[in-house]
Amino acid sequence: MAEDQVDSRRRNFLWGVASGLGAVGVAGVAVPFVGSMMPAADTMAVSTTEFNLDTLVPGQLVVIAWQGKPVFVVHRTEPMLSRLKEYEYKLKDPESLADPRVQADWMKTTEQRMTRSIKPEHLVLIANCTHLGCIPLFKPSPGRAEWGSSVPEDWPGGWHCPCHGSLYDLAGRVIDGSPAPFNLYTVPYKYLSDTKILIG
Amino acid sequence: MVIEKMLNSRLAQWLDERSDIVKLTRAHLTDYPTPKNLNYMWSFGSLAMLVLTIQILSGIFLAMYYKPSAMMTSGGYSVAFDSVERIMRDVNFGWLIRYMHAVGASAFFIVVYMHIGRGIYYGSYKGPRELLWIIGVVILLIMQGTAFFGYLLPWGQMSFWGATVITNLFGALPVIGSFLQELLRGGFAVGDPTLNRFFSLHYLFPLLLAAIVGGHVHALHVVHSNNPTGVDVHEGKGTIPFHPYYTVKDAFGVGVFLILYCYVVFFHPQLGGYFIEVDNYVAADNLQTPSHIAPVWYLTPWYTILRSFENKLLGVIAMGASLAVLFLLPFLDRSKVRSARYRPVFRQMVILFFISVLVLGYCGHSVPTPTLKLIGQLATIYYFAFFFMLPFVHKFEKTRPLPEEI
Repeated sequence: MAEDQVDSRRRNFLWGVASGLGAVGVAGVAVPFVGSMMPAADTMAVSTTEFNLDTLVPGQLVVIAWQGKPVFVVHRTEPMLSRLKEYEYKLKDPESLADPRVQADWMKTTEQRMTRSIKPEHLVLIANCTHLGCIPLFKPSPGRAEWGSSVPEDWPGGWHCPCHGSLYDLAGRVIDGSPAPFNLYTVPYKYLSDTKILIG
Repeated sequence: MVIEKMLNSRLAQWLDERSDIVKLTRAHLTDYPTPKNLNYMWSFGSLAMLVLTIQILSGIFLAMYYKPSAMMTSGGYSVAFDSVERIMRDVNFGWLIRYMHAVGASAFFIVVYMHIGRGIYYGSYKGPRELLWIIGVVILLIMQGTAFFGYLLPWGQMSFWGATVITNLFGALPVIGSFLQELLRGGFAVGDPTLNRFFSLHYLFPLLLAAIVGGHVHALHVVHSNNPTGVDVHEGKGTIPFHPYYTVKDAFGVGVFLILYCYVVFFHPQLGGYFIEVDNYVAADNLQTPSHIAPVWYLTPWYTILRSFENKLLGVIAMGASLAVLFLLPFLDRSKVRSARYRPVFRQMVILFFISVLVLGYCGHSVPTPTLKLIGQLATIYYFAFFFMLPFVHKFEKTRPLPEEI
């Protein structure tokens, strides 16, 4: 090869090696920077929340914070639970099978998939609408008497999202015709005693 | 080859018709005619841009966790101090990003002082590059301001008392002194309002810096790079296209720099108290001054000039003058020859000048003693004498013959 000729094979090889290593370097630098934006150790340390269930009266809803996110805890009464079955034909996903996020480890029986709770009377769910994240309003009594035209005439009681009108029944299952794609998401929780749960 | 292909690609052409991007890239990067004899002293300009990028990037991520508040917490410290400790202990890689930023500040000054020293030694400040030099001095002043504002943020003892001393300097000025002082502090002493505004300005100044660096590079490309001989070589013979020779040479410089920088970041981030002073790990206490207080190393030469005068106002004026005189440098030096290589007298003067700055820096970092004070005063005298002698040197200096070409 003459002195003044360019050996483009060698040059391309060097380009490949240099830019490949450069890309590895950039990726390596990105790890700490992106990593720093993930939850810090002290944030992770407060990732569980305890809740005392005997502070609830039957039929009451409270919204508590878990990892900074709102969580619904409802004490459901017998009439509330009995109404769950009557409305099933209008639900998108009555047995909570559509998505991993609507399921939980403890959902062993069909009964638990429908009531969506370990013990039927205590419902614990993420309080954000699965559509775009607003907190739905709790409208537990059936029919339009208390809620007017914001709910359908055969309203079984449940949640109504003020943002885009999604409707959920009293097990947080989304009613057909809502913009929300899924039932309200489940939260990992367990009973520490008969009246105390640990969320997270 | 690859660059050539990229610049000729259809996407590049489409962009070029709408933005001149290819023409600008050719004029300022790939085809930019550069003297062929630049040595490694010319690497520090691109290194300074790299460090500025590191500082802005790491600073943006630190600001996601840092809280500028002097309010006391239940733990007995302040919100700001605790938030820095949280970055060090709890935030993922927070220690790394903070050390990158703190070491980066010192690295920035090392690189920029080398860059300035190169400019003085090879006469890069002389016509037609006067404006280029003046923009550079503005960059230095903004950098020093940025570093000073940033040093307050951890709200440690050195932060607090450093800011107290410097804001008091402004108070020494006649007539407007006390007004300026309160304007900086937002109160009667350094406190919560000071911390808040220093954080705001610490975030603003680097953005100004980035814009002014753009002006610095533009001014450079109008008058073109100087070179070690100081002889004008603008076009044709004596120059080569910037790419690939200088892109590769600068990349090599970047590699060497990053090895040293990473070594310090990972193994000696405080560099024995030079990069992060030990006393700054003690939370700010407005009722007790640390036993020895000195600015960080990169401000110590000017601190010594301040200390060398027994009259407070004179000291402040001298310190201001020592920086302001840099603006005049291109007009003080009347010699027709640029590079110290061909100016035997100037060469001795400039080497002694560099030594005097180092001596000033050493004195400013040490506990003041009578001997060190005298040495500092002698160095101060030479610092100013250098500038006073410059207009007269060319009258008796016998310069060596310049090369015809390089």
